[in-house]
Amino acid sequence: MLRKVSLAIGGIVLIGLLAVGGCQLTQLQASAPSDSAKWEQVEAQTPAATVDKKAVINGGEFNKFFPTAADGYERVYTQEKNGFAEAKLKQDGATLAMLSVSDTASNPNAALKYQNSDRTLAGYPLLEVGSTTTGLLVADRLQVKVLSRDPDFTPTEREAWLEQFDLAGLATLVK
Amino acid sequence: MSKPIYELVNELPQKNLTVFVLRSLDRLLPGEWENLVGFENTIRQVTGESDAALVEQIGARAIQLYNDKSEGYQRALWLYQTIDTTGRALGQAALANKMTENVRFLSIVNRLTPKADRAQSIDLSMKLVTEIVAFCKINGIPGDSVGDFVKALGDYGGESLVRMVALVCFDGLVPLGPNFIQQTEAVLGKLTPKDLEKNPAFRAIKEAVPGGKTADQLNFIGASFDSVKGWMGNFVESKGITPQGVVDNIKTVVDVADDKLDYFGAFLDIATNYYEHTGIQTLSRRLIERAVAEI
Repeated sequence: MLRKVSLAIGGIVLIGLLAVGGCQLTQLQASAPSDSAKWEQVEAQTPAATVDKKAVINGGEFNKFFPTAADGYERVYTQEKNGFAEAKLKQDGATLAMLSVSDTASNPNAALKYQNSDRTLAGYPLLEVGSTTTGLLVADRLQVKVLSRDPDFTPTEREAWLEQFDLAGLATLVK
Repeated sequence: MSKPIYELVNELPQKNLTVFVLRSLDRLLPGEWENLVGFENTIRQVTGESDAALVEQIGARAIQLYNDKSEGYQRALWLYQTIDTTGRALGQAALANKMTENVRFLSIVNRLTPKADRAQSIDLSMKLVTEIVAFCKINGIPGDSVGDFVKALGDYGGESLVRMVALVCFDGLVPLGPNFIQQTEAVLGKLTPKDLEKNPAFRAIKEAVPGGKTADQLNFIGASFDSVKGWMGNFVESKGITPQGVVDNIKTVVDVADDKLDYFGAFLDIATNYYEHTGIQTLSRRLIERAVAEI
């Protein structure tokens, strides 16, 4: 009984009646999940980016080295920022994966993990990151990744698409 | 800086009027929009990763990118927030205007208040401009050709698509009627730079609108509307959307009388912030997509 009453009170508290211009509406107040404290801590431990932006290769330089899509695949460029370019790989309107190139000069820690790589693809160190991503490092600097967005897009397919980047072309960007 | 990105995403309401109103569009866009809230939840959903250490690493990079002003993310948020705030002011002005039409002794006020339809047409155009400028702040100009860029713009889905459909329905069809596209074109066609400078929505985001002088900015606004009107018209026609249909869908959550439809667009302006709400969702999604690729 007490539980019912408290539920009812809770319901009443949640439902506010707002009348504007002859209209009435019910508004439930926000009940946001609060993990902000945890992220505040993460933020405190994360230094602000202190990178010489001019030394970072612009994302637009990477575009022409992306795989071309044919045979029912579609490539849609989605982002082009300083040191970063990304495209969606789509088929029949559905997103299969994301294709990306980033300059680790803007995030030097990213390159370090490839020191632990025990495999190569086209001569470049290769790594699986998490359960959805495969990446490789070109010329010790440019990180090329394929990230599954469809759970059926396998690591083998990710590697096949990594190989379709013009990796040698990308390497020429690093002087 | 305003709030940190994780706080903005964590504070997105799971249920409020804005969310209800956006959900009312589900019939037009079945399954397209999920109200994704919570920073950690968003990282998990967008990336498909669940390992706590990895999620934290992605979040840290996203925070770092967001905090770097030169990356443009804070500017995009400012745009989404600002255009919603001026929308609320416009809504209040429009309501005042409607009141004066019935009340004779206030007729002098009527002369001072802008005609609601004209202000609404400009507001609609300014929201479109906001979308295009914010898109570029968040994503840059993807690809190597105009075709690539148009393709990127055309790849709208999820919260970005629902924002555009809400714009068509709540800022076009409902307040302006089925001819909202022609009407807005007519308003823009007659608008002088001087008129534009008097418009609160334009004034609020003027500094972010491309073009040096107001006349150039007016051209940009016209060109922006021109480039999107085809899509808007096709969408309305293909889905058979009518102002009454939009209102009928919302009626389940808002009690609105049919003879008060004129007030309804103004009411939505005041009572919802769908640009800011979905704008934060778009921004955080793109930020996280970049962060996971860069770590």
